[in-house]
Amino acid sequence: MSRLATVVVAVAASLLLLFLAAPLAELVVSGGRQGLHALGSDAELRDALVLTAATATTATLLGLLAGTPIAYLLARRAFPGRAALAALLDLPVLIPHPVAGIALLLALGRHTAVGSALFAAGLRITGTPTGIVSAMLFVSCPLYLSAARETFDRVDARFETVARTLGDPPWRVFRRVTLPLASRGLVAAAVIMWARAVSEFGAVVILTYNPQVASVLSYDRFTTYGLPGALPVAAVLVLLALIPLAILHRLR
Amino acid sequence: MIDVAGLSARAGTFSLTDITFHIPARGYGVVIGPAGAGKTTLLEVLAGVIPATSGTVRLADRDMHGVPPEARGIGLVYQHAYLFPHLSVADNVTYGTSDLAFAHDVARRLGVHALMNRPVHALSGGERQLVALTRAIAPRPPILLLDEPFVALDPRRRAAIRREVRALYRELGSTVLQVTHDFTEAGLLGDVAVLLDAGRVLQAGPPEEVFRKPASSEVAAFLGAENVYAGTVVVLGDGTVEFHTSDGAMTFVAAGDATPGPGHAVVPADEIVLSPTAIASSARNVFHGYVEAVERSGPLARVTVMVDGAPLVAALTTRSASELRLDRGTPVIASFKAMAVHLC
Repeated sequence: MSRLATVVVAVAASLLLLFLAAPLAELVVSGGRQGLHALGSDAELRDALVLTAATATTATLLGLLAGTPIAYLLARRAFPGRAALAALLDLPVLIPHPVAGIALLLALGRHTAVGSALFAAGLRITGTPTGIVSAMLFVSCPLYLSAARETFDRVDARFETVARTLGDPPWRVFRRVTLPLASRGLVAAAVIMWARAVSEFGAVVILTYNPQVASVLSYDRFTTYGLPGALPVAAVLVLLALIPLAILHRLR
Repeated sequence: MIDVAGLSARAGTFSLTDITFHIPARGYGVVIGPAGAGKTTLLEVLAGVIPATSGTVRLADRDMHGVPPEARGIGLVYQHAYLFPHLSVADNVTYGTSDLAFAHDVARRLGVHALMNRPVHALSGGERQLVALTRAIAPRPPILLLDEPFVALDPRRRAAIRREVRALYRELGSTVLQVTHDFTEAGLLGDVAVLLDAGRVLQAGPPEEVFRKPASSEVAAFLGAENVYAGTVVVLGDGTVEFHTSDGAMTFVAAGDATPGPGHAVVPADEIVLSPTAIASSARNVFHGYVEAVERSGPLARVTVMVDGAPLVAALTTRSASELRLDRGTPVIASFKAMAVHLC
């Protein structure tokens, strides 16, 4: 590479890093102190954060429980339609998130067959934490499935073969060999899913505006009070995002 | 007992085709073949990991159709050991058995007992193979499938472990099928040798028969036989046949029956006697030539003798080669018996 090309690439990379880091740094510098203070004084912010953490955690646990077997099947078994199923599971990541919210509203709203059946069973989706969990699960679970599938792909299937020849049926091999070997990758995948769920806005706001999760609260404060009102909430959310980031760094 | 008949299977783009061989109960079979021949795939089909598309597999007198790997009564050792990295050596060794006393006894006999508290990542390649062997033998499987299990061991230890594994499988009454690249190992261990190439069995039978009487010129070449000649068989009618090499350089006398017409002759290098002058001998094949090359490798020497422009390779001890003063250009007489010529 010529000297000029090296300089051009270095400048472009530096500008990109600056573009990514500067707004967040500015946000924390401008509103960080206020945000931390608001944690003690702003009950609405605290409630939103607790609701966000609870719903994101619920969505992640549901994703782990139901998504892990799907990811394992996609990694290990060849079956007709596997590629189509994998593409279908990636779709929610690719569509605009308000569109995902509208799709969920169509499927789970009170005036749909599924929604009315759930409502009759005492489970209301829209305007409830269940709606928030549904939206978070829909948009963030594909990230877990994709990362978990890659994790299972990296576990050499011959470990499982050896375990089976030693007398273990498939489910016990999964528990004794596959899961322990994949655990770090699965935890990392779950953290990615959780972080994505926490940051979700577009789909959540369509299904459940109130009670408000942190992302909806920051939007609400911005539209109601302008930038000064939204700044502390936004700064707190950036600071809280450092927690999953630190966990991921440690896992890798 | 391992009985495989007409077995075919697919693994990705690779195919095993019409595999047939038989290892008797308590027998020791060896599968020999070049890289990519399908040796490991064959073991995985026998283990039930890769499904057979046709043919039958019987292990210990049971038809294995539809039987999952965990119910086949097999122990499998891969070349790369595949020790479970999240478990200790001790937990690996006892993974498939509740008979801890026997597992520890096998560990002691294979020299693994000193490693029991070590983490797997701290083991050398040879130690990993020993732990994998111990782990596979500990549940006392009736069938042991071994994929190059000694390849990472140093030569001295390899010989000792071979002896110990052979003793253990005899005590357990197991039947063993081992993959190896090592012809010496195949000759030392095997009751049955199975030559595999490109997913097909080239020849199967007792190792001495396979090595001495290759079924085809391809098998002979694969086994590293130097003296493989194309030519024509002529039946003499007195219990012997003549074989005329296609280049016209040599005519061999061979014993036994053969089909007249085109064929191949194999003369094992260690059956050829070299002498500076004619000697009294019952050998029916005597050729005058000169030494083209002498390759010394430790205690053995391979001497290439040119007979009317055709090479004939003799194997003898380095000491004999020195005593005979076999240097390039030295005139020499090469002789071998009719029984030594194998026609295929």
